Amino acid sequence: MSLAIPNGLDNTVERPGERAPLVLGDTTYHDITETVCQVAERKPSKAWVIGFLISFLVLQWFVVCILYLLYEGVGVWGNRSPVFWGWPIVNFVFWVGIGHAGTLISAILFLFRQEWRTSINRAAEAMTIFAVVCAGTFPGIHVGRAWLAFWLAPYPSLNLWMWPQFRSPLLWDVFAVSTYGTVSLLFWYMGMVPDLATFRDRSKNKWRRMAYGLLSLGWSGSSRHWMRYEKAYALLAAFAAPLVLSVHTIVSFDFAVSQVPGWHTTIFPPYFVAGAIFSGFAMVLTLMIPARSMLGLEKLITIRHMDNMCKIILATGSLVGLAYGTEFFIAWYGQVREEKFAFTNRAFGPYWWAYWTMVTCNVISPQLFWIKKFRTTPWIIVLICIFVNIGMWFERFVITVTSLSRDYLPSAWAYFEPTWVDWSMLIGSFGMFFTLFLLFCRLMPIINMAETKATLAKQIHIAHSNGEEH
Amino acid sequence: MSDNTDSNDTSMNTVSGDKKVHGTVAEFTTVDSLMDACRKVRDAGYQKTDAFTPFPVHGIDKALGIKPTILPWIVLVCGLTGTAVALTMQIWMNAIDYPYIISGKPYISLPAFIPVAFELTILFASFGTFFGMWILNGLPKFSNPVFTDPRFDRVTDDRFFLYIDAKDPKYNQAGVEKLFGEFGSDYIQSVVEDDSEKKIPGFMYKVWIAVAAVSIIPLLIGLKMRVTNSDQPRFHIFFDMDFSPSKDAQQNTTLFADTRAMRPDVPGTVARGQHDVNFRTGIDMDAMASIDGVRAERLVRMLDDDQPESASESEESAPETTKSVMDTTPWLTDNPVDVSEETLLRGKQQFGIYCSVCHGLNGGGNGLVNRRAQRILAATWVPPSKLHDASLHADVYPDGKLFSTISNGIRKMPGYSAQIKAEDRWAIVAYVRALQRSQDASIDLVPKDQLEKIKKQQAEVEAALKAEADKANAGAESAEEETDADTSDAETSEDAKDESA
Repeated sequence: MSLAIPNGLDNTVERPGERAPLVLGDTTYHDITETVCQVAERKPSKAWVIGFLISFLVLQWFVVCILYLLYEGVGVWGNRSPVFWGWPIVNFVFWVGIGHAGTLISAILFLFRQEWRTSINRAAEAMTIFAVVCAGTFPGIHVGRAWLAFWLAPYPSLNLWMWPQFRSPLLWDVFAVSTYGTVSLLFWYMGMVPDLATFRDRSKNKWRRMAYGLLSLGWSGSSRHWMRYEKAYALLAAFAAPLVLSVHTIVSFDFAVSQVPGWHTTIFPPYFVAGAIFSGFAMVLTLMIPARSMLGLEKLITIRHMDNMCKIILATGSLVGLAYGTEFFIAWYGQVREEKFAFTNRAFGPYWWAYWTMVTCNVISPQLFWIKKFRTTPWIIVLICIFVNIGMWFERFVITVTSLSRDYLPSAWAYFEPTWVDWSMLIGSFGMFFTLFLLFCRLMPIINMAETKATLAKQIHIAHSNGEEH
Repeated sequence: MSDNTDSNDTSMNTVSGDKKVHGTVAEFTTVDSLMDACRKVRDAGYQKTDAFTPFPVHGIDKALGIKPTILPWIVLVCGLTGTAVALTMQIWMNAIDYPYIISGKPYISLPAFIPVAFELTILFASFGTFFGMWILNGLPKFSNPVFTDPRFDRVTDDRFFLYIDAKDPKYNQAGVEKLFGEFGSDYIQSVVEDDSEKKIPGFMYKVWIAVAAVSIIPLLIGLKMRVTNSDQPRFHIFFDMDFSPSKDAQQNTTLFADTRAMRPDVPGTVARGQHDVNFRTGIDMDAMASIDGVRAERLVRMLDDDQPESASESEESAPETTKSVMDTTPWLTDNPVDVSEETLLRGKQQFGIYCSVCHGLNGGGNGLVNRRAQRILAATWVPPSKLHDASLHADVYPDGKLFSTISNGIRKMPGYSAQIKAEDRWAIVAYVRALQRSQDASIDLVPKDQLEKIKKQQAEVEAALKAEADKANAGAESAEEETDADTSDAETSEDAKDESA
């Protein structure tokens, strides 16, 4: 059952003709179960408790701010003429972008048979769902009268006597984000059922057993079930892969379909999707690396996993850099006065500081991942990923605010200034995100045990057949 | 749904002791030993078999003889339903029931409906996949005979189980146990009916019912409010949205120095019905009222309705009657604007912008548009009037009538009331009068000092033009015209000075 890995914990070395192992050490199936279950079964560590309390407090502050906003009206934000899409939309796009990595890892890497996804996909999917929850909050409260946000739904209304306008990207966005949230939730939950059954079968406590028993729907591990389950998983992956690309494409339509200089460009869909994957992977690494060392998951989430993710960050970061350059080229090549001005204004106007923060964080910092040392040293990865997250927030800020604050009519130009409510809501959304993520770490299987065991089985099988050859 | 015949269904053929036996399981510790056992069981002719594993084992469906699932077909149907629902919904809502015109696109603009159709296709297909899979698997199913054995808990950890159901025609408890023994399994056990007393505690049902009942209450209250009337005043949750803090008439405010909430009119405001009708129509409306009261009333009403001011509103439809109407109209004979040098310069500027393209800078009727029309022999072209013509002089064509013509147009000429303000139209009238005079005036009317200057200018221009004409040796015709225009221009401005002085 056990398998000796000759090269210890470093599995980033490529050996010709061999697949690098993804489960390290003398790990058995049972070890995988133990490693993952102990995270939820043992008493919460001090770090977890402190982290949870802080996040929960910040979340409460977020709730208070939302109530204040509902009571007082959207004037509490810094949104003023001409910048009516201020931080709420910046935060929305930022969070939706982060929400792209989970499904990308689960679906696209699954379709490409990238087995290294198995030990990181669960946490990444959870992160996706929590990010989409944060993202969905912002347009919900940005509509002004949030208690009437249900008017967005196409239902036969006796108040309005009319239907939503389906030629508007904003309505496409409602459908895209809610479909994405729903499908991600289904995908995440379905993937978790066999592992919830493991939790059920290990629980000693009657209530715990009942709760996990309900959640795992009576999963027995029958081969017939597994066969349909795997088929369903592959189908969901096939649906989620184009879905993930469509969501940020449609989010970019919110901007690109308008006529505001700096927004009205056809490069937006691919540029937004690349940026979303970029920021999503950075957020996955920011969360996974501390979780990995605090929860003792080094043998399952290996250096090779991080190395691979850093390479994706490098690739998407370069794409984003290319997109920035292309925008400037087209602004010059198109010779439209307003477009040319919009881009000069971005880089050298009153928001130059935001633009250059964005370029430094998004274009320059990921280039450090060309160096292998940087891709394999956890604390450096976390540092760079935090920079990437900051940069990606600034990217949305730059796009939204610089274009709106100075468009066609110079007499209407104004400088956007956020209020304390804007700041509180940005920080508060992180409180919500971390609260949900920390709860997930305690209550749910944070690594897909069944798939990791299947990867291990394959590894054992390959090792045996290699052994027979010698 | 032949797909959904799971082997571990409840059915009792055999009885062991006092408990019903559902089948027999054997435990294995490796994938390979399980796979071997599966193949042998299949080859031995057993059909109602199943394997239980902690992770999907590839190839086991073949080893056990499991048929492929029909799930993809269910998903296909769901996905197509999603597409159809989305397209029908969008076309019905935006093209049929409540047609919107957006960006001049057709009502059924398919490209704009694709994003939502795509999203709903994915959504429906995903629901089909998710729920279809659970339904085909017969889950959720919380009571399963295999769960009665505590050792079976390890199936979700690291053990593999092979199971033969008692419903299998070849099933024989002793025979199956012997067969399993041959595979080297160290744990073989009969699966028996779950007769434990473990049940969901009774109070849980009560809690569920209570929660469900309570959760309906707000919905019922909402529904009741929806369908009934109330004599109570409505709630005002957001008071300032229901009662705007804006001021009513006659109230005080601290916002303005004069403390009045009602603001005085912006300078130049004209109240309804308070137009200076003579000024805006070129007609003496009092006289008009005595001649043709109905028409006068209509003209005044048209001004109030922001219609173009028109004294000749029926000109095109009834040219015969119009002629007499136009003749009997009491036109204003005096320009209501003070004719000063400033007015004339304004008139000249406006004439240059709007009139000269056809009528020419000197009003001779030979503007650029006319010249172009002559050159291309435009068949429908009506040459613009020569403004110096005696039929347009003030004695036969009063200022008011000229104003009306500028405002409403005549023959091919469109009305300019939308482009040119009334004051400026009067300024143009004054300027046209000046132009007319310039063409018929004798040179003696020009003051002596100005005359010298003009003659000098004229000589200079002529000399320059002649030099140019000699040089180019062509285009003499147009050069001549330009000279004409220039001289007359210079003269008229002198005239204007004269008049204003």
